[in-house]
Amino acid sequence: MDGGMSYQRFPKVKIREMKDDMVKFELRETDASVANALRRVMIAEVPTVAIDLVEIEVNSSVLNDEFIAHRLGLIPLTSDRAMSMRFSRDCDACDGDGQCEFCSVEFHLRAKCLTDQTLDVTSKDLYSSDHTVVPVEFSDPNDPGEQRGIIIVKLRRGQELRLRAIARKGIGKDHAKWSPAATVTFMYEPMIRINEDLMDTLSLEEKRTWIESSPTKVFDLDPVTQQVVVVEPELYTYDDEVIKKADAMGKSGLVEIEAKEDSFIFTVESTGAIKASQLVLNAIEILKQKLDAVRLSDDTVEADDQFGELGAHLRGG
Amino acid sequence: MNAPDRYERFVVPEGTKKVSYERDTKIINAASFTIEREDHTVGNILRMQLHRDPNVLFAGYKLPHPLQYKIIVRIHTTSQSSPMQAYNQAINDLDKELDHLKNGFETEMAKHSREF
Ligand SMILES: [Zn+2]
Repeated sequence: MDGGMSYQRFPKVKIREMKDDMVKFELRETDASVANALRRVMIAEVPTVAIDLVEIEVNSSVLNDEFIAHRLGLIPLTSDRAMSMRFSRDCDACDGDGQCEFCSVEFHLRAKCLTDQTLDVTSKDLYSSDHTVVPVEFSDPNDPGEQRGIIIVKLRRGQELRLRAIARKGIGKDHAKWSPAATVTFMYEPMIRINEDLMDTLSLEEKRTWIESSPTKVFDLDPVTQQVVVVEPELYTYDDEVIKKADAMGKSGLVEIEAKEDSFIFTVESTGAIKASQLVLNAIEILKQKLDAVRLSDDTVEADDQFGELGAHLRGG
Repeated sequence: MNAPDRYERFVVPEGTKKVSYERDTKIINAASFTIEREDHTVGNILRMQLHRDPNVLFAGYKLPHPLQYKIIVRIHTTSQSSPMQAYNQAINDLDKELDHLKNGFETEMAKHSREF
């Protein structure tokens, strides 16, 4: 092979904020294709576990069986194990019927209302056969002690719900219920430069109206010097309003705004199935696996050396 | 009831090659790579990485049809390289970039975990 020829980049990362369900970070010295590939993989290709098969034993609730099955599918389950699990469709141990420890987890739910008080059936009523795969716990931000659970259905006196469910590994591309991402966004870092000489020609009132023309609070007046300053560049939504306003005031070129093509600010929010930071790491890993799968190998053959699709046709392909 | 299986979008059917290529019959050092069951995620990063290679004269990809789950990457290089060499190089470089990114992210994570 060729020696020393590489056009590799060395991107820089800086985490700004990291919580279990949210991470905000800066990604620099790479391009939009990599940023976008990461975003797409986080949303659609990082695996999680979700309920995929439901066997209803008794259902006398007001919701029909398939409605309940759908709601069960959408409940996020803790999926730290998902990366090392098998997809049911290529599980040798159970031949894909989804009933073995390598590719699936069984759940049971039994609920019956025996009083005049409406009974909420929630994700907390789902009993898992595997303590590592359980419904994600949610708490009210105003009352962090109380775990609420996700309501599946409400029962009145005499109504009953009894079922068995199988959760499987899957990806968001198959069905959105498997997506670990609540939101994944990135923005270009804006570079905002004020033309100070031109700005000095504005009266205080003009400065105020110009600042007000931005829908987001990007600029403000310095209370001491009465100078226009950039207070929060990242609030800029690339709406061009301040540029149009400057033009309308006859002060074209008052501000110059450009998107830095190699700097991105990511916001990743997770459904709770995996930690947001783990979601980013898993996305990098999955993207690496995808690239590995498209490598040319020794058995990659040249499709049809001479005649292309026509050749394949002539040979009955 | 006759809907195709959803996994057809991302599982390569048996007997189909994940990647195949076809040399251009008229232009030397040009070829088209067909990648089964991939989309813009891989197509676009490959294309952009190929553009960083000065021996690549042209690199582009297309998703011929939303219901045909494949992409076609076309590469034209100088005589100093070949489409296959450039293709492999692009994948290797991206792979190393992602390794670097992973290490960077883990270092940052460790820094942030210590703060709490
Ligand atoms: Zn299995």
